[in-house]
Amino acid sequence: MANEQRTREILNGLQDAVVSMDENAVKELSEMALEEGIDAYYAVSEGLTKAMDRVGELYSNKEYFVPEILLASDALYAGLAILQPHIKIRTGAEKKSLLLGVVEGDVHDIGKNLVKIMFEAAGWDVRDLGVDVKLSIFGEEQAKKKADIVGISALMTTSMLAIPKAIELVKAKDPDVAILVGGAPLNRELASRYGADGYANCAGEVVKEAQAMIERVKNIKKVL
Amino acid sequence: MLEKRIFKPDRMTWKERWHGILSSEKIDRIPMHHFILGFCAKNVGYPIATMYKDPEKSFQAQLQTLEQYGFDGGPNYGYASFGGWEFGGEIKFPVGDFEQAPSHASFPVRTKEDAQKLVLPNIFKAGSVLNAMAFSKLQEKYGTPISLVIGGNFTIAGNICPVETLCRWTLREPELAHRLLRLATDFSLLLVRYWVDTFGAERVIPNIWEPLSSNDVISPKQFEKVALPYLKEAGEKMLAMGIKHIFYHICGEQNLNLPYWAQLRMGNPGLVSVGNQVDLSSAINYFGDNNIIIGNIEPSLIQNGTPQQVYEECRKAIEKAKYAPRGFMLMSGCELPPMTPPYNVYIMRKAIDDFGWYE
Repeated sequence: MANEQRTREILNGLQDAVVSMDENAVKELSEMALEEGIDAYYAVSEGLTKAMDRVGELYSNKEYFVPEILLASDALYAGLAILQPHIKIRTGAEKKSLLLGVVEGDVHDIGKNLVKIMFEAAGWDVRDLGVDVKLSIFGEEQAKKKADIVGISALMTTSMLAIPKAIELVKAKDPDVAILVGGAPLNRELASRYGADGYANCAGEVVKEAQAMIERVKNIKKVL
Repeated sequence: MLEKRIFKPDRMTWKERWHGILSSEKIDRIPMHHFILGFCAKNVGYPIATMYKDPEKSFQAQLQTLEQYGFDGGPNYGYASFGGWEFGGEIKFPVGDFEQAPSHASFPVRTKEDAQKLVLPNIFKAGSVLNAMAFSKLQEKYGTPISLVIGGNFTIAGNICPVETLCRWTLREPELAHRLLRLATDFSLLLVRYWVDTFGAERVIPNIWEPLSSNDVISPKQFEKVALPYLKEAGEKMLAMGIKHIFYHICGEQNLNLPYWAQLRMGNPGLVSVGNQVDLSSAINYFGDNNIIIGNIEPSLIQNGTPQQVYEECRKAIEKAKYAPRGFMLMSGCELPPMTPPYNVYIMRKAIDDFGWYE
């Protein structure tokens, strides 16, 4: 069983390996964490997830760009593949969930994929509907999944016009769900005009924005 | 804003104005340039796909719309996902209510083996080339500028394989990324040569649209290493063929790349179109001494904003760039959204009438 110092050393190593996009080192350190008796959940949350927080910050600060995020996420998933099967089921804090997709008429998925990575790294359960998603599907899937958040994106000025319709269809099925939107042609004002509860303009900050949005929506409901 | 109901009469035709700005001669007012295919389809009642599938209808729809709104410059043919279809992938033409332009249905390259096996296509028949040539023959017939829209080298490579794959290869398998960029560059140069042989170098204006190397995707360091050498090579070789002007659409968030773009020779003058993410003062600073600056009203604002907002942004742009050393053309920062309220297009021309005249 690793002592506190050794545990910290391995977790810091995991963080550094993800940030430096070193997939092999992440695999080795994940195996090592298990061999030395470090709790798998703790290794994920304090090692891999914190690393992706740093990656998100580096992206927001324009020190990292899409290639670095993708390679860091490859390292992240390599670690998760080793650690996740050893996570014991926990009671109490339930995993938050996200339903995510790019609207009908739009096949651009890179932004959506970055968002997915950041949420998965933060421990969320993500159901990815993909690209060019028929608008009715957002509502139908949410009715089944009851996700905490529905995330909807568009890259084109034409496909962005589908977002208010998609929001309307989701709210018709689940009026209480918080809806987060994003994509190059959008901004906070348009997101609000379209009826979204939140807007994120950068994958690096999207999880924080989502958490703040859930709180905002809860507080509004308390007042109502 | 609503008091005046007629524009001041132009003192030049659009062809005289276009020729004048390219020849660095005095012109009467700022030209209103365009990137407007889908809007033209809506304007004359065609499906948007017609603009990409039917050169004759596309050309006429553009001519009519350009005349109606008082745009300068002639019709253009092209789309941003150029390269995928041409190298053997499949393209999907826009059909739904929310589709704007052709998009990828399948990529010719997905694996390392695909990339290693990829060869140059037959440039006379590849993908959209037949339509592009038919379109340019109409440009020749009607005496409008002969444009050849091709992607920037990085964008063509990012259309040959998924951009995420290209991003990974850029760092992990640079020889594969360079292989695709090499093929993209050779393909571009063969196409330009084909156009030059057909129409003459002096009349052809290659249009290099480069969205995928923006800093929304890659870092300035990656741009310098992977995109810039090929852009430089292609530009120099085009100029060596006798091309006089190259039109670069430096699309999206490119601020960190500007010092590198500024290393390119783009013709005399070149034409540089920037998105709303790049301030026009920066564009003038980096490119203005040798190039006409074009831009940069935010497309989303033109589509979703009020006429007053669009007018105000046009006023600011005109006042900032009107006296750029080699000239300025007002344009949307990227494609004018097809669903733009027509009045917001009219208001751009009105802003030119109110603020864009040269004494």
